[in-house]
Amino acid sequence: MATSLSTTRETPRTASPAGSLQLTDLVKQYPGSAGTEPAVAGITLDIRPGEFLTLLGPSGCGKTTTLRMIAGFETPSHGTLTLDGEDMIALTPDKRPMAMVFQSYALFPHMSVFDNVAYGLRLQRFPRKRVQEEVDFALASMSLTKLADRAPNQLSGGQQQRVALARAMVMKPKVLLFDEPLSNLDAKLRVQMRTEIRALQHKLGITSVYVTHDQDEAMSLSDRIVVMRQGRIEQVATPDTVYRKPASVFVADFIGRANFLDTTIDTLVTDGGGNRATVRALGATYVVPAHDALVTGSPVCLMVRPESVALSPAPESREVTGSYGRVLKSVFYGAWVEYEIETVDGNVTAVIHDPAPGDILASGTFVQVSFEQDRAWLLPADD
Amino acid sequence: MKRKVALSMAILGSTALSLTGCVVDDTQQASADGELSGSLTVACGAMEDWCQAMTTAFTEKTGVQTDFVRLSSGETVARLEAAKSSPEFDVWHGGPADGYGTASDAGLLEQYESPNAAQIPAKYRDAENFWTGVYVGALGFCSNQAKLDSLGVDVPTAWDDLLDPKLAGQVSTAHPSTSGTAFTTMWTQVTLANGDEDAAFDYMRKLHNNVLQYSKSGTAPGQAAGRGEAAVGLVFTHDCVKYKEAGMTDLQVSLPEEGTGYEVGGVGIVKGTQNLAAAQAYIDWSLTPEAQDIGPTVGSYQVLTNPESVQDERMIDLGTTNLVDYDFAAAAAAKKELTTRFDEEIAAQPRE
Amino acid sequence: MSLDTLPPATLPAVAPPRKESRRGGAKLDTVTKLVIAGVVLILMILIGYPLVRILTQAFTVEGLGTLQDIFSSSANRTVLVNTVILGVLVGIVGTAVGFAFAYAQARLDFRGKRLLHLIALLPIVSPPFAVATAVITLFGRSGLITNKLLGQDYNIYGLTGLTLVLSLSFFPVAYMNLLGMLRSLDPATDEAALSLGANRWKIFRSVTIPMLIPGFASCFLLLFVEAIADLANPLVIGGDFTVLSSRAYIAITGEYDVASGAAYSLVLLVPGLLVFLIQRYWAERRSVVSVTGKPSGNITLLRSPLGRVPLLAAVFAIATLIIAIYVTVFVGAFTAILGVNNTFTLANYRYVLSGIGSDAMFTTTILALIATPIAGALGMILAWLVVRKIRRGRGALDFLGMLGLAVPGTVLGIGYAVAFNRPLIIGNIQLLPALAGGGAIFGGALAIVMVYVIRSMPSGQRSGIASLQQIDPAIDEASTSLGASGFRTFWSITLPLIRPALLSGLTYAFARAMTTLSPIIFITTPQTKIMTSQILSEVDAGRFGNAFAYCTILIAIVLGVIGLMNLIIRDRSAPTRTS
Repeated sequence: MATSLSTTRETPRTASPAGSLQLTDLVKQYPGSAGTEPAVAGITLDIRPGEFLTLLGPSGCGKTTTLRMIAGFETPSHGTLTLDGEDMIALTPDKRPMAMVFQSYALFPHMSVFDNVAYGLRLQRFPRKRVQEEVDFALASMSLTKLADRAPNQLSGGQQQRVALARAMVMKPKVLLFDEPLSNLDAKLRVQMRTEIRALQHKLGITSVYVTHDQDEAMSLSDRIVVMRQGRIEQVATPDTVYRKPASVFVADFIGRANFLDTTIDTLVTDGGGNRATVRALGATYVVPAHDALVTGSPVCLMVRPESVALSPAPESREVTGSYGRVLKSVFYGAWVEYEIETVDGNVTAVIHDPAPGDILASGTFVQVSFEQDRAWLLPADD
Repeated sequence: MKRKVALSMAILGSTALSLTGCVVDDTQQASADGELSGSLTVACGAMEDWCQAMTTAFTEKTGVQTDFVRLSSGETVARLEAAKSSPEFDVWHGGPADGYGTASDAGLLEQYESPNAAQIPAKYRDAENFWTGVYVGALGFCSNQAKLDSLGVDVPTAWDDLLDPKLAGQVSTAHPSTSGTAFTTMWTQVTLANGDEDAAFDYMRKLHNNVLQYSKSGTAPGQAAGRGEAAVGLVFTHDCVKYKEAGMTDLQVSLPEEGTGYEVGGVGIVKGTQNLAAAQAYIDWSLTPEAQDIGPTVGSYQVLTNPESVQDERMIDLGTTNLVDYDFAAAAAAKKELTTRFDEEIAAQPRE
Repeated sequence: MSLDTLPPATLPAVAPPRKESRRGGAKLDTVTKLVIAGVVLILMILIGYPLVRILTQAFTVEGLGTLQDIFSSSANRTVLVNTVILGVLVGIVGTAVGFAFAYAQARLDFRGKRLLHLIALLPIVSPPFAVATAVITLFGRSGLITNKLLGQDYNIYGLTGLTLVLSLSFFPVAYMNLLGMLRSLDPATDEAALSLGANRWKIFRSVTIPMLIPGFASCFLLLFVEAIADLANPLVIGGDFTVLSSRAYIAITGEYDVASGAAYSLVLLVPGLLVFLIQRYWAERRSVVSVTGKPSGNITLLRSPLGRVPLLAAVFAIATLIIAIYVTVFVGAFTAILGVNNTFTLANYRYVLSGIGSDAMFTTTILALIATPIAGALGMILAWLVVRKIRRGRGALDFLGMLGLAVPGTVLGIGYAVAFNRPLIIGNIQLLPALAGGGAIFGGALAIVMVYVIRSMPSGQRSGIASLQQIDPAIDEASTSLGASGFRTFWSITLPLIRPALLSGLTYAFARAMTTLSPIIFITTPQTKIMTSQILSEVDAGRFGNAFAYCTILIAIVLGVIGLMNLIIRDRSAPTRTS
């Protein structure tokens, strides 16, 4: 369905190529909350034209407030916001060339699907024929043509969100804003919609800012992810970097699952690809990639993702010592097995994909625990 | 229909005038001398049909378009006060003289000595000619004959008759601080006691035991008697006759032999009227028997102040009625103190 | 990919809590700013200016004396206490009756449900004096029922009668509000309680009632304010029982003392202001009614006779009482004085329809018809500004709008007379022509329309606010983000969504305009005869037949117009494609 957008119509469907959004030191302090931490405490971001950027973080981290400041529904207490060099803060929300997709869809319940999508175009006094064309096209590209005359409350959740998307996209805004648009959908639909949104955004090339607290959404959709915490940015990076080289324990913990092992740096070398540190963990010495900010003697934490943990039989061992550990718990998920293993460095979670029949280790089994050192990550310990 | 059209034309006209006149024009339209013209607006303190009949008759006689708004005395004073600088009324007609007194004290009335005023007895007009009396109402007992019969009580003919224990909870009167009628009752007691306020309060205190409740409105006691909720109501006799005519046929009017108080209904010119000549003509006319005789034809049975007016049989006969020597000025001066005292010493007390 | 890629089926898809109270942080667009300025200006003219003109009188020497008296003189203190007692009683009784009707309507199944609904709405149209006079006729000391039928010598005048009359007159507001809330309660909560082993009575006590507490509170407060500001009923059926509103009226009309009247009214504003603040800061914050989504599941109706029978008995008894009262008014119009002289006559209608009365009928209806849409629109716009657009000062704006209801009519009327009797002139530029009184434009009709508007707007404002709070603000924002200005959003999105509130606002507005009395007395002119003031003079003259005839016609007009409004602004269930 999304592919239908790559048609050979005369009028180009893509928005104006620009859409470069700059946030500089944006602060939002709610009135009457002086003295407490601001909801957003100084966000600086440079969002590139056509980029799909996700604001990710737990509840109350300020991501929604940031999005609403971009949209104009909140006025920043401080800082600047420009779109292609033009100041946005002076503009009221209706004057900003952006369109927003809401968590609750926010369809106009008293209008048909067609009228919902046509609403913005009619506001701009497009000729009737043009409105008809544009709306028909948008509806077709979201497979909604047959539902044009329905009322929103006659649609399923997925269909409603499609209408909301069509309604925003038909405006060909410079920036599309998404406020947790999928969180009201059931799991399967969410995965499907996610794919559609990404495909559509690629085709249209509209700069998009997407707020979610669901890391899978963030990973699968984004060009870059902004991880936020308590009104501040923890890290801005590609999904790959955020996952493999998180800037902090918080990020590492929030994105995916991780084992954190206490350790100290033996030696630290810097080569072309960044820092590498020699550390001892799980009764062995590893050379692992390390965070740029680290120096010898820094308090550090070694992150090992569960899927990087390797287990091998250890028939000779009957106690937890050195690299030997004991299986505390094993859960079979079909495609993988998850183990909880007691080691000298504390409990470690390991995930083994595609286990062979009969290969699942029972609780109490002793194993040798190791990990792939290139996939581990040494980062500053949380204070 | 014709009138409606004329009215809307007038409204349109005045709108055009006031809307175009964005810059204030201070010149005022001069009132015409000699021939009467223009229009009059009357603040009318009597009953609706009385007001209607009076103004219509004046219009027919003089050609001056005369309209009215029916208002109680207090409302009239409040509105005159509010619109002091550009009065909406030209004449105030009907309603008790104490209101006229208040208004003239506040400088809201225009002095005018009508040539016809000489016919009116001096006690029914203002010494300074701010107002002149057009009718007199005497305070009396408005009894429900059926109710009295069931109680085994005769129609009261003296103030003391009201103290009969058989009438416990059967006397209806208004509260003196809320009703001119009830205050007249109180001042009558003071007058009958030769100015001894304590003696008057003694009587009011005894009466208190027989009083059902003190209503807000001065006319309500007449209605209460008419409905049979009370046996006797203390009201002006013409109100009692009015209710009887309206269908409360059990009502019976009687007067206290010791003497009773009265009210005078006035007429006066509003200060600053735009049509002084017509207003003066209205006053002159309102004092004639011709005008006063309209009253009984529309169900108002106050005694008329012009001795040459026709005496209707439903009016009381002032010749046989014992009216006390009612000092309006003294009454007005004492009102605040007396009503406050009444509030505290009597109204709030439990009944025995 | 980590294992977390798989759908976390155990995790409910809960969105982070939205900071609803912090809505409205957006910059306002020019059109909205203009609308705000316009609304504030209109409110200042309609209520602010006249009120300031009159209330400053409370601070003159006489006024200050009275203010001091109110707290030092025992008689005046009694008046103050009476007022509060009356307000509280009417608030409780009215809310209780409203709830009984609403609960029966929402949760019981019985014959005549629709009829009961209509009966409950009937008292919205209660011309001054009609209900009180009918109650006196029926239950007075020589009442048709109490005396003639039961032989009792019961005295209805005073607190009992007042509470009865005011509760009956005002409960429909509580009924409508609570019915709406009961219907929007998610039946799933009932079901959840049921599945946890609670019985019906327990659910009622521990689930239904607590969920409705904010509704009870706001109904109570509204009834409280209405009850203490009412004038006609305390005058007719108050007996010895004096309240501030009647005291203020008496000060002005009986004692020629406007300053004291203003002082009493100023005191009267205090409880009004207080309940208003309580409502803002308590009731609205504790709203627990589900605001999004349609109720899931079906409402389980109450079937146990233990609950059904007493409730239905009570509700039908009250309904019978209401019917009896309106029948009394209707029958009374065909007799000279019902209960005293019961001869059948058509003279009353002749008088009202062809005599002096017909002018009043047309004028009143036309002026009310002009005022109603203005009041309705203004109320909705105000509600929208308060709920959606303004953060700082929205309480003040809300209160300014509600003042029209909270200020005693007498004071409002005199305020209008003082403020608008002559042109408003600053320098030598005429800002406003004279609006009130005989010499004003349109024969003073404009001032009457203005009074109707300010007097009847608050009901629309309240229902608009309640309704807007139920609508997801994201719908507004969606419209804004698609490029609609604030006002455009209001017009094409918000207004259609609050159509039911608009309709009920208009209904109340029209009914209230037609039955407004006390402020009108001070601004009627020869060109503008108003039915209510005619009713007053007929009651004064003891011509109850005429008064009842006026009331019957007034009721007929209001019901007719409300019926028409329902036809015009009917709720369109399915949207239609308008392209």
